[in-house]
Amino acid sequence: MKIKHSLFTRRQFLNGLFGGWITALLVTFVYPVIKFIFPPYKEPDEVILPFSDFEGMAPGTVKNYAWGGKPGILKKNEDGSYIAFVGVCTHLDCNVSYLPDQKKFFCACHEGWYDEFGINIGGPPPSPLRRLFVEIVPPDLIIKREGVK
Amino acid sequence: MNIKKLGAGFQAWLDDRFGLSGIAQFLKEKPVPQHKHSIWYYTGSAILIFFTIQIITGFMLILYYRPTLEEANASVARVMTEVPLGWIIRSVHSWSATFMIAFVFVHLISIWVTKSYREPREITWMSGVLLLACSLFFGFTGYLLPWDDLSLSATKVGTDIPRSIPVVGLWVTKLLRGSEDVTGDTLTRFFGIHVCILPIFLVLLLAIHIYLIQKKGMSVPVEAETRGEDVRTIPFWPNFVFREMVVWLVLVGVLFSVAVFLPPSLDKPADLMAAAPEGVKPEWYFLFLFQTLKIVPPKILFVNGDTVAVLLMLVAGVLFFLLPIIDNKPLERKGKIITVLAYALVAYALIMSVWSLL
Repeated sequence: MKIKHSLFTRRQFLNGLFGGWITALLVTFVYPVIKFIFPPYKEPDEVILPFSDFEGMAPGTVKNYAWGGKPGILKKNEDGSYIAFVGVCTHLDCNVSYLPDQKKFFCACHEGWYDEFGINIGGPPPSPLRRLFVEIVPPDLIIKREGVK
Repeated sequence: MNIKKLGAGFQAWLDDRFGLSGIAQFLKEKPVPQHKHSIWYYTGSAILIFFTIQIITGFMLILYYRPTLEEANASVARVMTEVPLGWIIRSVHSWSATFMIAFVFVHLISIWVTKSYREPREITWMSGVLLLACSLFFGFTGYLLPWDDLSLSATKVGTDIPRSIPVVGLWVTKLLRGSEDVTGDTLTRFFGIHVCILPIFLVLLLAIHIYLIQKKGMSVPVEAETRGEDVRTIPFWPNFVFREMVVWLVLVGVLFSVAVFLPPSLDKPADLMAAAPEGVKPEWYFLFLFQTLKIVPPKILFVNGDTVAVLLMLVAGVLFFLLPIIDNKPLERKGKIITVLAYALVAYALIMSVWSLL
């Protein structure tokens, strides 16, 4: 079927073409700006620590290690096994500390509490501390992210 | 030719090029209404005075400050201990920020309860809300710059708050931090925002705000306006400005006195790996938000409590921005309820702030 009248004028067509072209051009400028603002970030898959540094820990005590840019906390349980956490509160990202006499993790920012296994038991934290896997392959102590083989 | 004549000649020459006499004439003729709420007119220029002091002391501090992980804390320590009069410059910068924000709050509440934002001053209010946001962001970014334990924890919390917003939240956090975590990049980024991006935005918004005030004139209380009374006025220049100057003088005197006797502290450099210190607190103007986040339960009806709190705050912010449009019948029941809301908000903020200090 042939339409008798044009759907838009020549001026509208040219304005649309010109506007579209300007928009496309701007998008090509905006994309690299956004890419630039967000630097690449990768959480480590695993950290390898010398086991000798942690071997002598008394049961019920903790030691810190670096998990990328975050503090990691390695705890030796009463039965001699090890348990590793990302030492960051699940509420609003503050670094937590371990209180050995109370057997609890504590976040000072908004008074969040976790038990000795990192389970949230008081205050605003919505979920347990993040757990990491511990593997001991002497002379190394390997701390891994979930799902990393 | 004497100096006086030369001066007059130069003035005429400038006037010919800029057309300044029109502005001078405008200021002489601009009426400032005199009534029982006139005292609130002085809060605007008080904010400007403190902002000017911020610019001057900021220019001075930037001569010594170094925005890197390794040097930030030490460079502030140097300002406090070695740079001649550095301690008082930093103290004035810190206190002037407090005074400025305090006056911003007073200015805001006075405009809310006198309903000065009603037609045709809606955009004046909206630009004011954006100026408030800029001021608070100034305070938030400035708080990190000394890079000590307290400022690091406050920043970790503050930049983590947007994360609870669905979809865009994580990107906002990343944008602020320059990473998933607070790092040295965050410090450099905050410095750039504090000294470069925010000043441009604030000055631009301020220009719009002040232009609109000139364009629409000073607001008079809604009761006087509806009764059609003739409100007594005084000229802006010189009568009103001279009165303002008295206020400025007193405020600057108080500011410097406080700054001399109560300089801000500087803790040991922040350690990204250390546990948050006890007694972490944000600046006083964020205390009510801080306390709110502290008492929100972890779960509200299966949803993360913080997400609910943050979304509620966002909605409140939008409603606040649109207040002049919502409050379109200021003299009726709705208008009166909205006025009571202002007092309720002040009461809430005060109670929460005091609670957080207990």
